[in-house]
Amino acid sequence: MTSAQNPKADPSQNPPRGRLSARLLAQGQEPDPRFTLANERTFLAWIRTALAFLAGGVAVEAFAADVFADPYRTVISVLTISVGLMISVGAAVRWLHIERSMRLGRPLPIPLIIPLLSFACGMAMTVVIVLVVLD
Amino acid sequence: MTPAAPLHVDPGLQPERTVLSWGRTMLLFALVGAVFLRWMPYFGLWTLALTLCCAVVAGCIYLTQKVRYSRQSRGIVEGRVEADVRAVLATTFATFCLGGLGILAVLS
Repeated sequence: MTSAQNPKADPSQNPPRGRLSARLLAQGQEPDPRFTLANERTFLAWIRTALAFLAGGVAVEAFAADVFADPYRTVISVLTISVGLMISVGAAVRWLHIERSMRLGRPLPIPLIIPLLSFACGMAMTVVIVLVVLD
Repeated sequence: MTPAAPLHVDPGLQPERTVLSWGRTMLLFALVGAVFLRWMPYFGLWTLALTLCCAVVAGCIYLTQKVRYSRQSRGIVEGRVEADVRAVLATTFATFCLGGLGILAVLS
């Protein structure tokens, strides 16, 4: 699989599509279906990552009372949940950008969500280490 | 008894992999919803809202799995699968709402 372009797709004979799909993915032609499905699976993997952050954030607030003092614990919890929120939105935006790129036969966009996740994890670990050492 | 004819002959089993990926996501929503119940002593009724949200999403994914597999298998045969914009946006919206409820629960 070297190209996302679908050799079977004929742009002059596009079948009717849903309203949302026609509005958000208006240009180009249907890519190879295998790439569309792979893009969907990648989106779902990011959503599962976001869910892990959401559950982790709530768990910090509920179970880390012995580790962190009250205001710090709440801040860490809200930050962790916020990272989950950003990942979920970033996953949808990335899915849309990739789908559009494939439809237009353009190179895939750089994944900005990955440096964001790395930065957030690094910051979180630093904060936790500092708080544990200072405690 | 002869086995039923396969819906597609894709050697990469793309529809199966995608439906399984949705299945994993459904299980995770259900799991997170169940774990939220464990935190009821800490957050009170907020956990019920979180659990309900997770249960609705997991239920919707479960109910659409068969249709999804048929649509994707047909798409593989025809060489054209329409991107599932509605499912992607709905899942993102549900995850976003879940996060918002989580933050409200933590701050309350």
